[in-house]
Amino acid sequence: MTALAITPTRTTPLSRRLFNVVRLHLANPFTIIGMPLMILGIIFAANWAIWLIIAIVAKPADVADAAQGLSYSGASFWIFVYMMVVAIQAMNLTFSLALGLSSTRRDFYLGSVITFVGLSVFYALIFGTLAAIEEATNGWGLHGRMFTSVYFGLDSPIGLRYFFAFCAFVFFFFIGAAIASTYVRWKQRGLLLCLVVAGILLIGGALLISVTESWPAVGSFFTTLGFLGGFSLSLVVSALAALAGYLVMRRATPRS
Amino acid sequence: MTPVIHTRDLTRRYGSLAAVDGVSISLDENRIYGLLGRNGAGKTTLMSLLTGQEFATSGEIEVFGESPVENAAVLQRVCFIKESQRYPDDFKVKHVLRSAPWFFPNWDAAFANALVSDFRLPLNRKMKKLSRGQFSAVGVIVGLASRAPVTFFDEPYLGLDAVARQVFYDRLLADYAEHPRTVVLSTHLIDEVADLLEHVLLIDAGRIIVDAPTDELRGSAVNVVGGRDAVDRFTAGRKVLHRDGIGGLVSATVSRLTEAERTAARSAGLELTPVSLQQLVVRLTEGTTQEFQESA
Repeated sequence: MTALAITPTRTTPLSRRLFNVVRLHLANPFTIIGMPLMILGIIFAANWAIWLIIAIVAKPADVADAAQGLSYSGASFWIFVYMMVVAIQAMNLTFSLALGLSSTRRDFYLGSVITFVGLSVFYALIFGTLAAIEEATNGWGLHGRMFTSVYFGLDSPIGLRYFFAFCAFVFFFFIGAAIASTYVRWKQRGLLLCLVVAGILLIGGALLISVTESWPAVGSFFTTLGFLGGFSLSLVVSALAALAGYLVMRRATPRS
Repeated sequence: MTPVIHTRDLTRRYGSLAAVDGVSISLDENRIYGLLGRNGAGKTTLMSLLTGQEFATSGEIEVFGESPVENAAVLQRVCFIKESQRYPDDFKVKHVLRSAPWFFPNWDAAFANALVSDFRLPLNRKMKKLSRGQFSAVGVIVGLASRAPVTFFDEPYLGLDAVARQVFYDRLLADYAEHPRTVVLSTHLIDEVADLLEHVLLIDAGRIIVDAPTDELRGSAVNVVGGRDAVDRFTAGRKVLHRDGIGGLVSATVSRLTEAERTAARSAGLELTPVSLQQLVVRLTEGTTQEFQESA
């Protein structure tokens, strides 16, 4: 049998194999890039129209008030959720295909991590740049807010905005990856069980904090942390999710 | 010959069900194998185990002398065309054919293109929208053009019309002659592929019940046809695999006969007819075999 042993030189190098997985994810870029940018454009146009209506209708005194309200805009939130869905679909169906194309789980997962981090950089650049334009044009000329909402800090410097957006995309991608890995490995029932357990832990934690009257302490923890600390901390959570997803996927079998 | 695939006591359990049960097989290089068996016999599970897609409960697997599980060096030389392969929702035929070459070092693009026109595949159609036959054709193309040293086809014929099936046999044989490799074909359409298969593995309820060269298997049984009394007299004390009767005429399938026995049968006025591979597989795996033996 040794006569047939594979000569290591013939094996495709790891970097090439990972690159192949990235290419597989992007083989049809429409879902992952085309579609989200299109929806983003449509939502932006709709928001701009609404800002215009406000500008026309509102009395000058109320404009400031409206601008304050718009700082709580959740208009850009969907794109993060969409990326979580992208990650879930990629991990579920592209996983089956990758194994069908003789990829290993390890290569597939590492290649997916590279894809997700790359996409996070791509979208953070777009998001941060739109935020910069929004600031420079005083809310697209209409005091509108979509990319500089309160969740990323109203007066954050532009450099940090890029970083925050990156952290947020990474977070949603890897939470999605962990959810999908759980689903692929243990199917619907396993995923439900995990979500129930996570829910219990969250509610239990909240209960514990309430009973011990620690909410002010939690509040001050995040206040001290600030936006920079908070978003940086999310990277740790994302990394843990990525690691958990990997451990789960390593023993997963493709659904049929 | 050197085995490219070797398993020992390979078992995969799902709860109390053993989908693959104590399978020990050796597959030689550059031959065409038929993996035959009824639905749910364990064909797909066995192939999934051999390609590292499923995990064994116990036992050993060696492909090219190494475990295939998470082994990139082994897997890139293996191609498994799964009947139930899933694709991303937005994938069109062209996306599959664009990405497959990245994963198979021996991919032949010209061959793939020729096959696309042979099968008249619409490149721009989504995988989800394909007919069953077109869906199978995509798998056949990937399996053939990948030229992987070990290629598994799991029910590659599903939905293919007679012309498309003939295209598949012809291309497979022609390409196999030029680029020898190990092919494992699992199928229901046994008679159609019988001439293609050099070796048959018959799996039933997770166990390998036949592991033999096709020629040997074909000669392993014979139909004895004639009047009821003559047939009964001849088969008395013999293992009868199957027995059919219309009126006074009876056909009984028995194990291989010696030349002397054949002469005896003919002089008793009995006719001997060959048993097709498909008939043989049916006889060996139908649940009623036992009954027939007892009634015989």
